[in-house]
Amino acid sequence: MSIQNTTADQQGQPEVLLDLKNISLSFGGVKAITDISFDIYEGEVRAIIGPNGAGKSSMLNVINGFYHPQEGEIWFDGKQRTGMKPYEIAYQGIARTFQNIALFKGMSVLDNLMTGRFTHMNKNLFWQALWKGPAEQEEIINREFVEHIIDFLEIQAIRKTPVGRLPYGLQKRVELGRALAAQPKLLLLDEPMAGMNVEEKEDMCRFILDVNDTFGTTIALIEHDMGVVMDISDRVVVLDYGRKIGDGDPTAVRNDQTVIDAYLGVSH
Amino acid sequence: MSADFLYTLEVILNGLMAGVMYSLVALGFVLIFKASGIFNYAQGVMALFAAMTLVGIQTGQIPFAHLINAIFGTEMHHFGWQVPAFLAIILTVGVMVLFAMIVEKYILHHLVNQEPIILFMATIGLAYFMEGFGDIMWGSEIKTMDVGIPSGGSLWLEEYTLGWAAEGERYWGMYIDKLDMVATLVAVILVVSLTLFSQYTKTGRALRAVADDHQAALSVGISLRAIWVIVWSIAGFVALVAGIMWGAKSGVQFSLSLIALKALPVLMLGGFTSIPGAIIGGLIIGVGEKLFEFAIGPMIGGATENWFAYVLALMFLVFRPQGLFGEKIIERV
Amino acid sequence: MFYRESGDFKKTYRDDSQTFPIKFDRRRYYVVMAIAFLVLPWFITDYIANAVMIPFLVWAIAALGLNILVGYCGQLSLGTGGFMAVGAYATYKLMTSFPGMDMFSVVLLSGFITAFVGMIFGLPSLRIKGFYLAVATLAAQFFLVWLLNKVPWFYNYSASGQITAPERSMFGIIITGPYASPVTGYLFCLILAIGLAWVARNLTRGRLGRSWMAIRDMDIAAEIIGVNPLMAKLSAFAVSSFFVGVAGSLFFSVYLGAAEVTEAFSINVSFAVLFMVIIGGLGSIFGSFVGAAFMVLMPVLLKNILVGGLGWPTDLAAHLEFIIVGALIVIFLIVEPHGLAQMARVLKEKLRLWPFPH
Repeated sequence: MSIQNTTADQQGQPEVLLDLKNISLSFGGVKAITDISFDIYEGEVRAIIGPNGAGKSSMLNVINGFYHPQEGEIWFDGKQRTGMKPYEIAYQGIARTFQNIALFKGMSVLDNLMTGRFTHMNKNLFWQALWKGPAEQEEIINREFVEHIIDFLEIQAIRKTPVGRLPYGLQKRVELGRALAAQPKLLLLDEPMAGMNVEEKEDMCRFILDVNDTFGTTIALIEHDMGVVMDISDRVVVLDYGRKIGDGDPTAVRNDQTVIDAYLGVSH
Repeated sequence: MSADFLYTLEVILNGLMAGVMYSLVALGFVLIFKASGIFNYAQGVMALFAAMTLVGIQTGQIPFAHLINAIFGTEMHHFGWQVPAFLAIILTVGVMVLFAMIVEKYILHHLVNQEPIILFMATIGLAYFMEGFGDIMWGSEIKTMDVGIPSGGSLWLEEYTLGWAAEGERYWGMYIDKLDMVATLVAVILVVSLTLFSQYTKTGRALRAVADDHQAALSVGISLRAIWVIVWSIAGFVALVAGIMWGAKSGVQFSLSLIALKALPVLMLGGFTSIPGAIIGGLIIGVGEKLFEFAIGPMIGGATENWFAYVLALMFLVFRPQGLFGEKIIERV
Repeated sequence: MFYRESGDFKKTYRDDSQTFPIKFDRRRYYVVMAIAFLVLPWFITDYIANAVMIPFLVWAIAALGLNILVGYCGQLSLGTGGFMAVGAYATYKLMTSFPGMDMFSVVLLSGFITAFVGMIFGLPSLRIKGFYLAVATLAAQFFLVWLLNKVPWFYNYSASGQITAPERSMFGIIITGPYASPVTGYLFCLILAIGLAWVARNLTRGRLGRSWMAIRDMDIAAEIIGVNPLMAKLSAFAVSSFFVGVAGSLFFSVYLGAAEVTEAFSINVSFAVLFMVIIGGLGSIFGSFVGAAFMVLMPVLLKNILVGGLGWPTDLAAHLEFIIVGALIVIFLIVEPHGLAQMARVLKEKLRLWPFPH
């Protein structure tokens, strides 16, 4: 590997939030990911790029526990993870958005975000059936938090609109909001800017950077728009055919010959 | 051979025959599901309706006689003629095609792209409608179906198998209804011709294309509406065949529509999209419930046929959710 | 004109999340309650109480239960009849084994027993989805009815195989049995129906309800947000079965008085409740009541008009009922898949702006 870990060199030894070691994943006989290792530092924006079918989405699915890799170790927040269900991983503090929007279409924006608070609420069935008292208290506290997110994402006006009725760009924003509502330590974004126009992309970039700055949330994102990736990410990992072919800061990756050959192609 | 063994054999054979009957209904389900993604709960009622119509036409009943009598105070019931069975069957097929067109025009056409569960519930509504409609049209009394299919035990088989039992055992030969044998034969012919139809004709190819992807089929110039009418007509024909067989076996009556419910576990075993699956699923359920009732039924109070099929399907599904022949479902994110 | 929300600002989140955010709605609700509790008991005849009000309330509870499962959690069930039977037989066994127990506890305990049975039959829902689950719930329907019919212990070895509600009272007022007055039966059902509707509303607007809806709308996303699918589905099955069990209990003890399982709790009951939910509105508590009212009133009206008024034979009227119900289901699914409740909502939206829609 020709690219060195420049950020680490500059800032001393940063805290590693997520460490993936020698991950391999296959479906039947098809290998989706072969022996990939990389790590994500606390508080950084980490981009995962690569051509279609490179295994990026599979990688995210491995991280949030939807797929279980056949080989390799996953260390999150200093602990090794073994065979956890996605909902258990949510409790550990990993949230995500999806490539094709996966909102709860029958619910309002507010309810979608409140569902994002699921892991932070714990009143039992009895109190919920009664409503008055602890359950209502809990509801109000979490509502306050959600309202902060609503303000932050500037979606006050559509609070009570069913999400099915919203335009695409807003739906993406609401989905980001739902993930943020969970107050995750690690936020995974699967093509947050796919299918958006320039203006919407700019908005989304701003939100991602703001999230990173104000909440200090660590972000891992998959994105096809190279301009965006180079602008907002601290470090980039490049995948091709299920293998890692590059890793480092944006400039280093941009100039790496293997990456250019495999991915950026001859047009640049 | 011991008599016990022969009895068990008889139970299995009868189970297979009953299974064929289930398969006949399940076949109609599969056809419609493959072509339109609709789980047609009304298939059983279609069988009942077809059988009623056949009997009604054959015996020269006046449609809606009860309603007309109630409104106008008249006393009429029959035209006073008899229609030959063959002609009556053709006329009934005509009615089922008409029915398919109506369903397409007034229901399916308006429910395109709805969720499968909504479509399913719509067919439950359709089933209720048809049940009431059939009763008003032809009356709700139990009718006998007579289209010239032989029935009753086969004496020949009884005599032939009489000598199989070991010397000195009490055994009177094997009892299998001739009607069941005919049904088996018909089912085989039906399956073979349906398979040939869908593999080797232009319409059959179009049908499979629609089953795969509505949009893509539309884009190459296949008329979705025409295909749906065809599929529902075929399903109506299959329902008629099932209705004739079941009607001849146990009379044309309300309980006939309940065989639709029995066809459901058959489909769960065989998968919703596989014609051979429907047949094999039907056979498994038929044999399974007969054997269970024969072997264990007496110990726990009998009448286990009411639920055995469902519980078997449930157990089976927990371990293999995609059915016997369904493809493995890989969930994608 | 009356239906105004402008100027009706909410200053706290508590106010904002109340059940009837608009003042007019709130007042109307209080008026309906007052009529139901204070006015109706004095005016309804025994016939209306027995043939309309009690079945309406009982079916409304059942529809609420099924709506939680189908409308909120998206798990189609055709086993409602079987679960109602469990509630009814649990009530019978409790009434005969503990004669001193008051009716309220009997009904609630029957609900809990049914909830437990419902959870067992809900277990496969983790692996089975959609139609497959619907068919799996048919197994519950047929198996439970068979079991209750075949094991004599459940009906105390009575020769007829029937269960008959003995006379039980609460606070000295007779609620069940041949001497119970229909009006007390009505009030008893009313209290339970309103209490349970309130519980259903609380559950569906809170954390649990959101987890159900999340599973319904997008189960994968729900799981990734921290919803345990097994817990969500099982809790939906449990709560739903609790409601259905209470409905079955009241259906037997207050409404029918005597029941035979294969007659009273057949598959047709399952479909009838499903129809109430569809006609009333999937995922709506108000809709459950509307759907139940519709399905109870329509046959009564048809019968009065066709048989009483026009002198048609009863079987013809029954067939016509089938046709109308079937056609209505199809029409509703085509025109308004969210049922009467959604129609009411649309009407409200229009009323809000009336008389100046632009």
